[in-house]
Amino acid sequence: MKTKRLIAGLALLVATAGCVLVSGQFLVNFDLGSFSVTSPTDVHSQLVDLNTIGDYNDHKDNLKGLADVAILGSIRNDGAEPVDIEVWMHPDDQPYILASDVKANGIKLWGPFHLEPGETKHVDWDTSAGLFDPLGKVTLLGEIKGDGIFTVYALGAAGTYSFTVTDGQVVLVLNAGA
Amino acid sequence: MRRLLALSILALLGLSLVPGTAPAAKPTIGIGGFGGVSVPIVQDDVKSGSMFGVRVPITLMSFVSVEPFFASSALGDGKQEIGGITYTRDGFDNKTFGVNAFLGSLKGNPGFRIYPYVGIASAKLTRSGSADITETAYNFGMGLGVSPAASFSVHLRGELDMVVIDDVSRKFANATLGVSYDLWPR
Repeated sequence: MKTKRLIAGLALLVATAGCVLVSGQFLVNFDLGSFSVTSPTDVHSQLVDLNTIGDYNDHKDNLKGLADVAILGSIRNDGAEPVDIEVWMHPDDQPYILASDVKANGIKLWGPFHLEPGETKHVDWDTSAGLFDPLGKVTLLGEIKGDGIFTVYALGAAGTYSFTVTDGQVVLVLNAGA
Repeated sequence: MRRLLALSILALLGLSLVPGTAPAAKPTIGIGGFGGVSVPIVQDDVKSGSMFGVRVPITLMSFVSVEPFFASSALGDGKQEIGGITYTRDGFDNKTFGVNAFLGSLKGNPGFRIYPYVGIASAKLTRSGSADITETAYNFGMGLGVSPAASFSVHLRGELDMVVIDDVSRKFANATLGVSYDLWPR
């Protein structure tokens, strides 16, 4: 009798836990390529369409959240002044070319990432994950769970700047579950 | 959903404590330690790592035991090739305080036994570049115990550990080998 009660309890447990049992953390990445940015009238804009990524499409209907996010690559400061690099986003396909337009209408996603004149740094995952703006992450999550299409911009925080990004990537670790 | 899951765990723990027809036995309290491996399940950003912990096995009756425990896992760094470059993500440190309930005795009696168990705990996941995650964790497992000497037992366990985060979970398959010693009564 006792064994039957315990088996019934285990069955209830497994049935209840089913919804969180069938879940996982899946990595998708979007290639930003290599590009150069020079102030003050040049920002690099890149349309991100997650629907072009197979793994995103596989889990799109079951997305629950964003477990981790990073912007990766190597960045070189080509200018004569130190630069703080930022990444902004707009929830639509909006190819702004002026930093002022980006900052007036977009949302800060990442940064600042500091470089001295002539310095090149490889942006590692741990460092990058810690540079995301909390509001930017919330907005990004909304886009990931929405149409999966948004625009990102790379620019300097202020002043005169010139930098080159090599092998830029947006990396998302998605929480997906039944 | 999480509340229902927690209530189910507690109901199962309560069912295991309902007195049966077996004669009452003196409760025993022991102390033990364990170590093993923790393997993340369907997690692209973290790899397997080692784990260790301490536990206090308390045999309440011949067929029911409970066991408060502390466990610590050092999960391996996640490595991914992205755009032709290998990137590394810091693995989690997972620290857990909780209690398990067993269908069976954990007392160091001579012999060999197999027992199922469930548990509930508070888990804290920490890693570089991310805010700490402190959530409720649940585990389900099977153990195999053998007592080569009086009051002393060796336990091999396999379990599924599930840290529930909103509507999803981070899951780990843990395999541990541990030893326990009965402190009271001798």
